[in-house]
Amino acid sequence: MSEQNVQRLPAEALYQTELEALIAAETNPIPTGWRMSPRSVLTYLTGGKAKGIEITPKYMGSRRLVEIAIATLVTDRALLLIGEPGTAKSWLSEHLSAAVNGDSTKVVQGTAGTTEEQIRYSWNYAMLIAKGPCPEAMVKSPVYRAMESGSIARVEEISRCASEVQDALISILSEKRLSVPELGLEAPAQKGFSIIAAANTRDKGVNDMSAALKRRFNIVVLPTPSDLETELHIVRTRVAQLSNGLDLNASQPDQDTVEKVVTIFRELRGGATLDGKQKLKSTSGVLSTAEAISLLANSMALAGSFGAGTVSDNDLAAALQGAVVKDEEKDKLCWKEYLENVMKKRGSQWLPLYRACRELND
Amino acid sequence: MGGPVLFGVRHLSPAAAFHLRQALDRAKPALVLVEGPSDLNDQLKWLCHSETRFPAAILAYTQTPPVRTILYPFSIYSPEIQAILWANAHDVEFRFMDLPSSVFLALAPDVSPSQPEEQDPSSPAQTTEMVYHRLETLTGEDHDTFWERNFEQLENMESYQAACNTFGRQLREASMDNPRRTAETLVRESYMKRVIQQAVDAGTPPERIFCVCGAFHVAGLEQNQPMTDGEAAALPHTDTHATLMPYSYYRLSSRSGYGAGNKAPAYFELLWEALCQGQPANAPYLYLTRLAAAHRKAGNLVSSAQVIEAARLAQTLAGLRGSRRPVLTDLRDGAITAMGHGNFSELALAAADTEIGTTIGFLPEGVSRTSVQEDFYRQLKELRLEKYRTVELQRLDLDLREKLNVQSQQAALADLRRSFFLHRLRVLGVHFASLLPSRQEGANWGEYWELRWTPETEIEIVESALLGDTIEGAAAFALREQAEQSGSIAQAAAIFQDAFLCGMPTAARHALTLLQSLSVDAALLSDLAETASRLSLVVRYGDLRRFDPQPVIPLIQQLYLRACLILEDACICDAKAAPAVTAAMNQLNALPLEHDFLDDGRWRTLLREISDRDDLNTRCSGFAMAILLERGEVEEPLLSREVARRLSPGIPADLGAGWFEGLAGKNRYALIARLSLWRQLDSYLSSLDDSSFRRALVFLHRAFADFSPNEKNDIAENLGEIWDVHPQQAAEALMQETTETERAVLDSLSDFDFDDI
Repeated sequence: MSEQNVQRLPAEALYQTELEALIAAETNPIPTGWRMSPRSVLTYLTGGKAKGIEITPKYMGSRRLVEIAIATLVTDRALLLIGEPGTAKSWLSEHLSAAVNGDSTKVVQGTAGTTEEQIRYSWNYAMLIAKGPCPEAMVKSPVYRAMESGSIARVEEISRCASEVQDALISILSEKRLSVPELGLEAPAQKGFSIIAAANTRDKGVNDMSAALKRRFNIVVLPTPSDLETELHIVRTRVAQLSNGLDLNASQPDQDTVEKVVTIFRELRGGATLDGKQKLKSTSGVLSTAEAISLLANSMALAGSFGAGTVSDNDLAAALQGAVVKDEEKDKLCWKEYLENVMKKRGSQWLPLYRACRELND
Repeated sequence: MGGPVLFGVRHLSPAAAFHLRQALDRAKPALVLVEGPSDLNDQLKWLCHSETRFPAAILAYTQTPPVRTILYPFSIYSPEIQAILWANAHDVEFRFMDLPSSVFLALAPDVSPSQPEEQDPSSPAQTTEMVYHRLETLTGEDHDTFWERNFEQLENMESYQAACNTFGRQLREASMDNPRRTAETLVRESYMKRVIQQAVDAGTPPERIFCVCGAFHVAGLEQNQPMTDGEAAALPHTDTHATLMPYSYYRLSSRSGYGAGNKAPAYFELLWEALCQGQPANAPYLYLTRLAAAHRKAGNLVSSAQVIEAARLAQTLAGLRGSRRPVLTDLRDGAITAMGHGNFSELALAAADTEIGTTIGFLPEGVSRTSVQEDFYRQLKELRLEKYRTVELQRLDLDLREKLNVQSQQAALADLRRSFFLHRLRVLGVHFASLLPSRQEGANWGEYWELRWTPETEIEIVESALLGDTIEGAAAFALREQAEQSGSIAQAAAIFQDAFLCGMPTAARHALTLLQSLSVDAALLSDLAETASRLSLVVRYGDLRRFDPQPVIPLIQQLYLRACLILEDACICDAKAAPAVTAAMNQLNALPLEHDFLDDGRWRTLLREISDRDDLNTRCSGFAMAILLERGEVEEPLLSREVARRLSPGIPADLGAGWFEGLAGKNRYALIARLSLWRQLDSYLSSLDDSSFRRALVFLHRAFADFSPNEKNDIAENLGEIWDVHPQQAAEALMQETTETERAVLDSLSDFDFDDI
């Protein structure tokens, strides 16, 4: 009951019925330490049917990439997901571990303040002082626990960790054991242990990963959505989900508005118009799908709280200006050029938005 | 059954070639029939020649324009080639059995020559394409991968043959052929049947005939009746030529469609070699180690551990897809993940090397007579250029203007067509004609050439056969290749110009797209202005060369807009860079005057802005003022106010004089005529103290350096008027010997210490 008010449930709880259906319908061999076969994991992530229960697709994108990710885990290699912010890296890693282990909560969140202890183990100092080094006084990290139970540990934002912290992973990944000199202990990893790490490519304040560490990972680069349709679909679904949860008091932005935003984002991100005929300068910011979603939700909040309840071109123009022009000098130039060279020539449907945007730039 | 052995194959399939040889060994036929144009049997001996190296292709083409061609590319792992080589080695009779190429070319007049892949004779592409498409949606893999996964890995000859024939049969049932395609297939099959029947009639026992054909046709050959004599006589027919030509793996990989090409020829050769060595299971390791070696050669680090990981991952991926051994996509994905850090771009070079390769075929000397050569000679005759085909160097002057006093359109534009032809040869690197510089400034209708024929020219033309089937086609391909390699905006502009000169709008449009994409990254103002004014020329003179300038306009607009946007920042520069900026400003200024489609208001506002701002290079500001002045945008009070402001005593002398230099950069007569201006300059100079005056003098020297003597004279007269000096008296004074003291003063002025600046 207390679960009802939890802001966010872990994937294995949210999709419990689907996971159970898949396990019940299993016909293929299951690797040691896994709860279902690789093919079922694939079904769980890309969608399908099991025992009459509809499995919703969790990752809308290249099925092949998911296959590579799963195959990596089967070969007991560690998996590194790389991509721009907002390309569903954490989302994919959470669902992978939920499907493989039924537990997506062994997570180390990488930050600039993450220490080596958080990767290996630390001590309950009160008990350490009282009893001296003993197994009860040890606080095991998620990685340690995953090694013991032969399951998957997740490391988020690995590139934000300092390099000595990253290096702590090297020995774990190559030796597959962790030594605790204080207790004279060598903890070997059980079969099924692996690590899924996620890293950002375009962000400020990231640390380069050493070649030694990279070599221990199989690297999968997650792309931004491959076509307009996919991205539109993702944005529309997520905006609807978000606004239901947040009670935004504004009507859903219409098809046209969503399409305009996604088109602008895709074109500026890709550095070319959608038809590929014209190259564009791309902006310094990332302009991810996630940002398009939050931009629309924001405009809805604006329209709902202060406006007429529908997202107008002026709301949109202001939001776009803020999203696109992050670096005043350079981005403004790109944006102006985009307005004149592309948006202005798009015809009457785009004209109001063009005028609203131009007003902000003159 | 007792009928002929029908061995269904897939074109360019190593497994098919391998199993075919085994089947031939077992069947020991007396006659081998191969799917291929039966009028080209005389080319077969060259295919078996000991000097021949594959890939090679048979090219058949029509003798009359428009040139239509069909191409039969063969690689060492083509089943057809292996059948031919086997028969040749075992002294067994062999020949082609498909419709003659002359009939093919007559049958397909509706297919335009610009889409050669659709003319591919051996593939029922358009229709089975649908089935392949459905297969792709079902399996999530392209059909090459589907084929490799399900058929290439079969190791048993019988099961391969059974699988292949079943696939062909079902494909046949499933494909909804359009009536034309169906009819063509039926005609072909009954013709093949007729050839078999003829062989039987000639005394070969049917069970000793071995037919190699596409798996698709096996059912057709079993069911259809042979073509009768009457039907055969009724087939359309056109005059064709055929030749063998050396082919390349690159070309093979760039042609799409079943049977016509093969995306990874080098990889398939590797499969073929592994099969021949009896170790097909080695192929994945061979591929990965070669890829790693190529990647290392390109200067990257790859450890053996990474290669091992790639192999393991590929194996698991194959398992997920349910095949025994990894196929190319599995191997490639494994390599990208384990060796390429998840990015294909890192491995792209090595992958091109390992999958496509650089192999080029070779034919014994004197075998080729390509369609490009034919085309060259025909055009030479048509354009009446034959008399220039001599070793002697000859001049040819062309007048590109349309001649109004002749009868036909053809004749009216004869010189223009000659120009197109010669330019195309130039683009192809055929050294037959060389362009001489124009004799008359601005007379862009005149072109002057020197023509000379050498034996090397012939060779160069043959070489261009690899690029295309006609001179125009080859030139288009050459331009496209150059375009793909060009990295700078200047190169791209040159390619566009070439395409424009060759009269090839499609190639020009392609170059234009490239130019657009390069120009986005071009930050240099001078590049932008230069390119824009070059393109502007094309718009203004395009009519002469029958060129539609419409696609150029948007690009000029973009270049103009970007130049306008960055001009202000470009004006923040030192004295060294300023001349380049003013030159660009001059070019830009001409653009909105020439073309209505550019926003002149934006330009004028920008100029006013630059002219008003104090923090830019003063020479640029001065030049902006000069342009405004020339356009009549500056009122007299504004000018005098600006002159007063720019040349006031507080301003450092180099800045003030720099501004004046900019102002004098254009439109001098208007300046000279304005007496008030000189009065202000005079009062400015007299307000300076000695050291500032010396400083200013350096810049003024420079400002007036490129004034003509006449102009200087006029200025002197202006000054004389201001100082109330009578011209005649002044002349007298100046004519006198300079005195010692005067000379000393003058010397001290030129004795300026430049280290100060």
